[in-house]
Amino acid sequence: MSILPQKNELGFFEIRLESIGGLGANLAGKMLAEAGVLGLGLNGSNFSSYGSEKKGTPVKSFIRFCEPRVEIRDHSPIEQPHIVGVFHEALYKTINVVSGLNADGIVLVNSSRDFDDVKQDLKLEYGTLAIVDALTIAVEEKTKVNTAMLGALFRICDFLDPDAMRKVIRKTFEKKYPHFVEPNLRTFDRGYSEVEFKTYHVPEDAQGKAFTRPLPQLGYMTQELGGVITTQANSILKDLSGSRQGFLPKFERDKCIDCAACDNVCPDFCFVWEEGADKRGREQMFLKGIDYQYCKGCLKCVEACPTSALSDLREMIGYADANRVKQNFPYAEGGNL
Amino acid sequence: MAILEEKLTAQVGAEQISTFESGNEMAAMAAAQINYHIMGYFPITPSTEVAQFLDQMKARGEHDIKLIPADGEHGSAGICYGAAATGARVFNATSANGFLYMIEQLPVQAGTRFPMVMNLVTRAVSGPLDIRGDHSDLYFGLNTGWVILTARTPQAVYDMNIMALKIAEHSKVRLPVIVAYDGFWTSHQKRRVQYFKDRRVVQQFVGECPTDYNFIRDPQKPVTIGAHMNGEDLMNNHFQQSEAMYNAGEVFREVSAEYAKLSGREYSVLDLYKMEDAEVALFLLNSAAESAKDVVDQLRAQGIKAGVISPNIIRPFPVKEIREALKNVKALLVGERADSYGAHGPNLTHEVKSALQDDKNNQTIVLSRVFGMGGKDFYANDAQEFFNMAIDAMEKGYAEKPFDYFGHVPGNPEKILKPVITPQQGDAYKSGLIEVKMDEETNKLKVKIPPLRMLTNKPKRIASGHGACPGCGIFGGLELFFKGIEGDIVTLFQTGCAYVTTTAYPYSSHKQTMMHNLFQNGAATLSGTVEAFMELKRRGEIQVSDDATFVMITGDGGMDIGMGSAIGTALRGHKLIMLEYDNEGYMNTGSQMSYSTPLGHMTSTSGVGKTQQGKSFHHKDTVQIMAATNIPYVFTGSEAFPQDLVKKGAKAQWYAQNVGPVYGKLLITCPLNWKSEDRYGTKILEEAVNSCFFPLYEVEQGVTAITYNPEEKKKRVPVTEWFKYMGKTKHLLKEENKHLVDEFEREVEKRWQRLKAKHENPWL
Repeated sequence: MSILPQKNELGFFEIRLESIGGLGANLAGKMLAEAGVLGLGLNGSNFSSYGSEKKGTPVKSFIRFCEPRVEIRDHSPIEQPHIVGVFHEALYKTINVVSGLNADGIVLVNSSRDFDDVKQDLKLEYGTLAIVDALTIAVEEKTKVNTAMLGALFRICDFLDPDAMRKVIRKTFEKKYPHFVEPNLRTFDRGYSEVEFKTYHVPEDAQGKAFTRPLPQLGYMTQELGGVITTQANSILKDLSGSRQGFLPKFERDKCIDCAACDNVCPDFCFVWEEGADKRGREQMFLKGIDYQYCKGCLKCVEACPTSALSDLREMIGYADANRVKQNFPYAEGGNL
Repeated sequence: MAILEEKLTAQVGAEQISTFESGNEMAAMAAAQINYHIMGYFPITPSTEVAQFLDQMKARGEHDIKLIPADGEHGSAGICYGAAATGARVFNATSANGFLYMIEQLPVQAGTRFPMVMNLVTRAVSGPLDIRGDHSDLYFGLNTGWVILTARTPQAVYDMNIMALKIAEHSKVRLPVIVAYDGFWTSHQKRRVQYFKDRRVVQQFVGECPTDYNFIRDPQKPVTIGAHMNGEDLMNNHFQQSEAMYNAGEVFREVSAEYAKLSGREYSVLDLYKMEDAEVALFLLNSAAESAKDVVDQLRAQGIKAGVISPNIIRPFPVKEIREALKNVKALLVGERADSYGAHGPNLTHEVKSALQDDKNNQTIVLSRVFGMGGKDFYANDAQEFFNMAIDAMEKGYAEKPFDYFGHVPGNPEKILKPVITPQQGDAYKSGLIEVKMDEETNKLKVKIPPLRMLTNKPKRIASGHGACPGCGIFGGLELFFKGIEGDIVTLFQTGCAYVTTTAYPYSSHKQTMMHNLFQNGAATLSGTVEAFMELKRRGEIQVSDDATFVMITGDGGMDIGMGSAIGTALRGHKLIMLEYDNEGYMNTGSQMSYSTPLGHMTSTSGVGKTQQGKSFHHKDTVQIMAATNIPYVFTGSEAFPQDLVKKGAKAQWYAQNVGPVYGKLLITCPLNWKSEDRYGTKILEEAVNSCFFPLYEVEQGVTAITYNPEEKKKRVPVTEWFKYMGKTKHLLKEENKHLVDEFEREVEKRWQRLKAKHENPWL
């Protein structure tokens, strides 16, 4: 008898992890796949979306499981998964993370929010929502989000053996970093036990989420010859707040001496300056604030600040939007902002 | 791949282990088991991992292949050729433009008949640059004289790597062999795979390394390798080569049959899926063929006689087998992941057609489609559409459109790119606050800059929204340098993180004009740009009041492969700046060592383990090399000393506009690959400077001046103060590696003392 709970027409049980580079979804996907293939003798494959993007940009990891004798020929990205794991809620802004999810599929989200709020943001009508506060677990245990997510994923994929995973964690760390063994085991176990579920009734005629293959913005009639870009600096349209991993710099104007030390070291040009007059009435530059749309939370500015005007802040939902000072770029009329 | 498990179980002698690995891992595994003598390599995505895995295995003592990091692919091919000519077993892996960069060497090796094995992890050839998979690189290899095997799955990558060496060294062949597999789809996708438990099984299969040829190895048998010929002789040499290539087809069959007995996996010349009675078929290379097989099953269920052909070897091209397979096929679609522009169909379309030409009874209608370039995925419904086209041709009795592209889209005119900001140029970048004057007495520039706070009014040259990692040190460094430059700049970014993260089509993070060229050629390219600009101006064809400042940006080890181009540019005296951001490795391709990686530092190709402790040789002193070209201005700088860097930017501009070339090196932090906390980026650089590993100085018209002396400021620290912030140097703080740190300190001290001597004596 099959241990796989469900299969598509090619015989695959499919999982898609939606994440941001640096959160370790790639490794989590690999460990999950290995647990099925090497641990249980299933056949399977695992791969990630690849591009030139760096840490902090959206990535996907894919896992396919099937019966041992089924040959895996499909190597294209998973479009209609049975399970989706969302490692960071900031992804909702730019990516349809539940694209193609089966009607009775399960979405696991790393969140500290309520089921109904998350459901609304995901535009989920039915199916099972699983929530684990992986970030809090990771911060408390001084480990990584992916291990907590892996714990929750093992709970969802109940055909996998969590003890086998515990052994892998032990083996991974015990030689070189023995002090990491216990915190990582605790992180895994907490993910496993703290994940909570809420199932929204799936009607008889329920349809899975539609999926679309994103088309490029430009085609052969609209691309400039040779791929030349004439709209300089259009990367300012991008929102990079999803690159932050829980922290951002807090700015207190009254403690600032306008020395520009922060501005000199900021890799993302987030500091917004304005002209004003100093006490003696001379023209001078003043730091107005931070454009959090581009802040990736590296906190180099906090280290550079000679006063306490900049400090670490554990990011709460809504803080960045409420305190953002928009950059004063010379925005063009008619730009598609 | 036909799995003959049932048939062969009785004969399969060798024990195999199941694992879960990618194509690159399996290529490395085969190489380690064979235990090649030499691998000369240079990192390029997506083949780089092969060398990385071999380095990791070497650090664990699992093989003793001598891994030689070359200065570029041309160099890596040279290393391999030299080693092969010595009679060693030689291995390499490359992709895309790396393959093209070494291509000059490939016919040399084939024509002088020295076998080796190279993995070509196929990827789109630039330009525009695209790091993902297609076959445009492979097609450039078709005429090199190398045997070419094609591996559709990670399992095939392992198997063919073992077969390849035996074919290459066969007495009837004696040719180098390429094993080609799909970048990312096969190289990075993990699958269940089997390998031989005991490497001796592999070694017995490939046999002893032949020694009875004319090699460099035996001083008692002196030989001349590579004499030049005239046509009379070259004809005969090439006829031998041509014969050897056709022999390789026969040898492939023999080796494959022998391998099937050992492994239970047989690779016929053509992989035929349900072709016995097929009426419509697809001809596809590598991974795409696998996807199409699932569609064949669906079509067969509907009563359509569909099939797939995929060759396991394309050099020599299996014409006989193709004629046989297509005897009764009514319509065939050849799908290709590359084009031969203007040829009315890519290369293999013509080779298939030409194979059929010799069968006078053949009636197959051949369609040709270019698809899936640059990593565009091939889904089941794409294969379905290919079959639909073939079925349509079969029904009509002719192909309505014999050749076309597939998967291209016209685009929506409403979605064209529109300006987001009004262009920032000219006066916007003139603060008027920076003063640069030549002091006639000292023959040195005098620079005055305002407090940096006042320069925040000057817009950045690069826009927010770029895709660099959190805490990336590149951008702080570049912008501080640009702050010192008044007026417009025109930049050329060589391939590297700064380029990749600022130009992901259709986005650009550049406010001013920026151009890209490949990793090794930026300086030469910008030489052309600056000279053309000057010439257009001289002839009055452009009217500009001020000259822009031309800056070539390189980093991620670009001064290794690009050294020749940079020195040539320096010697020719063009009015431009070459600015290197040095992050001590090839960080854009995943942290392989560069020549500027310091001794003992860990990278993905200088790993730490039982048998090695990071990089084995000292860092390159690029600044002194460039100073030796006697250009007017050379400098070092760092974000941790901002005023110093802004001033050097101002001087660089003056020299580049008034005298000639400038070279500058910025040390920058790469938190991802230095394995440091993002927030300490600046602090780490400060310690690197204070340890005298990275002294801040300039060489102005040949005269050296240290611009910040940590000893005088009583800030000098041991290098370990710098090391303690980084994961890549953590092992160096251990007692057992103290000798490495001592050796490194001695080198740092030697270079520092020499620099101080130069600082004190203008003639040095």
